[in-house]
Amino acid sequence: MKRKLSWLILIFAFSLFFLYGGPAGAQQKPIVIGGSLPLTGVWAETAKVIQRGYEFWVEETNAKGGLLGRPVKLVIYDDEGKPDSAVKLAEKAITVDKVDLLLGGYPGTAARPVMPVAEKYKMVYVSMGGHMASFTQGYTYSFGAPPLMGEWWFLGAFQWLETFPADQRPKRAAVYIMNNPVGTALLSSIDEYTKKLGIQVIINEKYNLPLPSAEPLVMKAKQMNCDLFISGGVFPDGVMTVKAAKALKYNPKAYFQGVGSAIPAWTKELGEDGNAIVSGTSYHEKLNNPSNKMLIKRVKEKLNMDSVDTYFGFSVAWLQTLFAGVEGTKGLDQTKIRDWLRKNKVETVAGTFTFDAKGLPAPFTYTTQVVDGKIELIYPADIRSHKGIYPKPAWK
Amino acid sequence: MGGIYALLGVGFSLTWGVMRVINIAHAGFGVLAAYIAYSLLEKTGLDPLLSLLISLPSFFFGGMILHRGLIRPITKARETIVASMVLTFGLAIVVENVMLWIWKADPRVLKPSYSGTAVFIGEVGLPIAQLVGFGLAAVGILLLYLFLNHTHTGKAVQATWQEKEGAALMGINLQKVSEIAFGLAIAAAGMGGVAMAMMYTFDPPVHNFWLIYMFLVVIVGGVGSILGTALAGLILGVITGLCMAFIPYQWINVLTFGLLIVVLLVRPQGLFKTGV
Repeated sequence: MKRKLSWLILIFAFSLFFLYGGPAGAQQKPIVIGGSLPLTGVWAETAKVIQRGYEFWVEETNAKGGLLGRPVKLVIYDDEGKPDSAVKLAEKAITVDKVDLLLGGYPGTAARPVMPVAEKYKMVYVSMGGHMASFTQGYTYSFGAPPLMGEWWFLGAFQWLETFPADQRPKRAAVYIMNNPVGTALLSSIDEYTKKLGIQVIINEKYNLPLPSAEPLVMKAKQMNCDLFISGGVFPDGVMTVKAAKALKYNPKAYFQGVGSAIPAWTKELGEDGNAIVSGTSYHEKLNNPSNKMLIKRVKEKLNMDSVDTYFGFSVAWLQTLFAGVEGTKGLDQTKIRDWLRKNKVETVAGTFTFDAKGLPAPFTYTTQVVDGKIELIYPADIRSHKGIYPKPAWK
Repeated sequence: MGGIYALLGVGFSLTWGVMRVINIAHAGFGVLAAYIAYSLLEKTGLDPLLSLLISLPSFFFGGMILHRGLIRPITKARETIVASMVLTFGLAIVVENVMLWIWKADPRVLKPSYSGTAVFIGEVGLPIAQLVGFGLAAVGILLLYLFLNHTHTGKAVQATWQEKEGAALMGINLQKVSEIAFGLAIAAAGMGGVAMAMMYTFDPPVHNFWLIYMFLVVIVGGVGSILGTALAGLILGVITGLCMAFIPYQWINVLTFGLLIVVLLVRPQGLFKTGV
C-alpha cells in the first residue's frame, strides 16, 4: 500500500512539473520562421551578419518567453545569392516546411523575386526589397522595414546641404551613375534636389560596371569646375574615383558616394583618403532611438561587441516588424498581420515606421559621413553623432 | 589599362597557342598575386613591385607543378581545348574559394606610397600608380618576347607550338617545354595581377571580369601572338580612353565588344597573327 502511494505521489509530482514547472514555453510547438540567405558565395560575408542578427533577435525573444508564449525557431537555407534559388527555397519553406512566418532575404536581387512568391501564398514578407520598382508591382504582403531604397539614397545628403546658406552651397554638379537599376534609382532624388537647391547639373553620365578608368571622369569634372561630385556607384568604382580625384588634385566642396562608402572596407582600405565622403543609410548603430540603444546594450552584454554592422541592425528591424505584427494580432493569420502592419506604428532599431499601401515607410535616409575613419551620422540634426564636415577638406 | 590586360593576356595566349589549353583559371592566379602583394604591403610594408621577387618564382614553379599534375593528363584528350576549359573552370573555382577562405570576400585596395599622386603634363594628370602598372606590363611583355625569340628554350617553345611532331623529331622535350611555357604563363598572370591591382580594387570573384577582357585582347591580337596581344591591349586602352573623352560612357562596352565582333568577322585569326 505504501509503495502504491509512493508511486501515485511520484506520478502526481511529475504531472505537476510538466504542467506548470517546465521551462517557459518548452512544451509549446515552436513558431517556425523560414527562408534563405546567401550563406555561401560572394554575398556570404554580409549574409552571415544578417544571419547573426536574426539569431540574436530570436534568442532575445525566446529569453523573454517567445512569441505568443511559444518559442521561435529559425530555418535558414543557403540560396548562394541566386534569385532562382531564393524563389525555390521560399516555395519550399512555405509549401514543404509549412513555416509559420517567412524570413526576409538578401541582397535585393534575391529579395525582389521572393516578393511575388509571398504574394502568391499570402505570406507577410519583411525585407529590404529590391528598390522602388519592386514595391510598385501591387504586392500587398511585402514590407520594407527599413528598405534599402536607391531612390531615397541622397535625400538626406541634399537636405543636409540645404542647411547651409545658399551662397555657400555647391553650384555645379558632376553626376556619374553606374548604369544598372541600383544606380539609376539614385537619379530621382538627385534630379529633384539639384533643382530645388538651384544646383546646375553640368555633367550627367552613366557608366557600365566595371568602370574601365576613373581619370577621364574626374578630369572632366575638374575642368568643368564642378564643386559637387556625385559618384553613384559601388565600392570598386567608388575607390577608383577617390584615388583618381586625389591624384588629379580635384577638390569639390562636397563629395557624395553611393553604397560603397557605408561599408567597413571603405575606411579600412582607403584610410584617410576615404574621409569626408557623404552617403546615406537607413540604419546606423549610432541611432539614438530607445530600441537601438537597447540593442547596442544587449549586444555588448551578450556578445561583447562594441558595435554592430549595418546589416545586423537591418535584420533585427525586419524581425521586430514581423513580430510586432504577430503580437499585434495575437496570432499567425498572415492577412491579419499585414492589415495590422498597415494601420499601426512599428518601433524598430532603425526608427518608428508607419507603412503605406506599397508597404513602405515615408521616404527617409540618414546621412552619413566618414570622419576620422569612422562612419558618422551627420543628418538629421536630432540623430547626428557628429557635425558634418563642409566644405570637404583638400586631399592630403 | 590596355597594356595591363595585354600582360595578363600574353600568358593566356601562350598556353592556348602552345598547348591548346584555355586556362580559365589564368586571371585567378593574377588575383592571387594581387592578394599576396596586398598582404606583404600591409604586413611588412614591402612595395608591390618588390613582392614580385617572391611571388613570380613561386608562380613559375607552381605553374610547372600544376602542369605536371593537372594539365599534362588532359593534353592527351581528343578535345584538349574543351577538356582544358572544363578542368581549369574547376581550378578557377578552387582558386577563388581558397582566396575567399584566406582573405574573405571584402574588396581590397593596393595602396603603395605613390598611390594618389600624379605627374602633370599641362592640364593632363597621369597617376603614378597607373604609370607603374603600365611600366610593369611593358617590362613583362618585353621579357616574355625576348625569352621566346632570343633564348634556346624560348625558340623551342615556338617550335613546339608551330610543329609539334617536327620539334619532337629535333630532340625537343615537349613535356619540359610545355611545363616551362605553363610556368611562364602563370608567372605572367601574377605580374599582370599586381599591375591590375595598381589600378583597380579586387576581390576573389573579380577574375571573371578580367577573363572577359583577356579573351578580347587575345582574340583581337591573334591567339599565340605576343606582339599581337600587346598591340590589341594598347588598342583597347586607346579606344577606351578616346571613347570616354568623346562619347557617353555607357557606350564603351558596346564599342569595345563591337570591335571584337568586327575582328572575328574580318580577320578570325586575329589582327596580328603573323608570328610570335
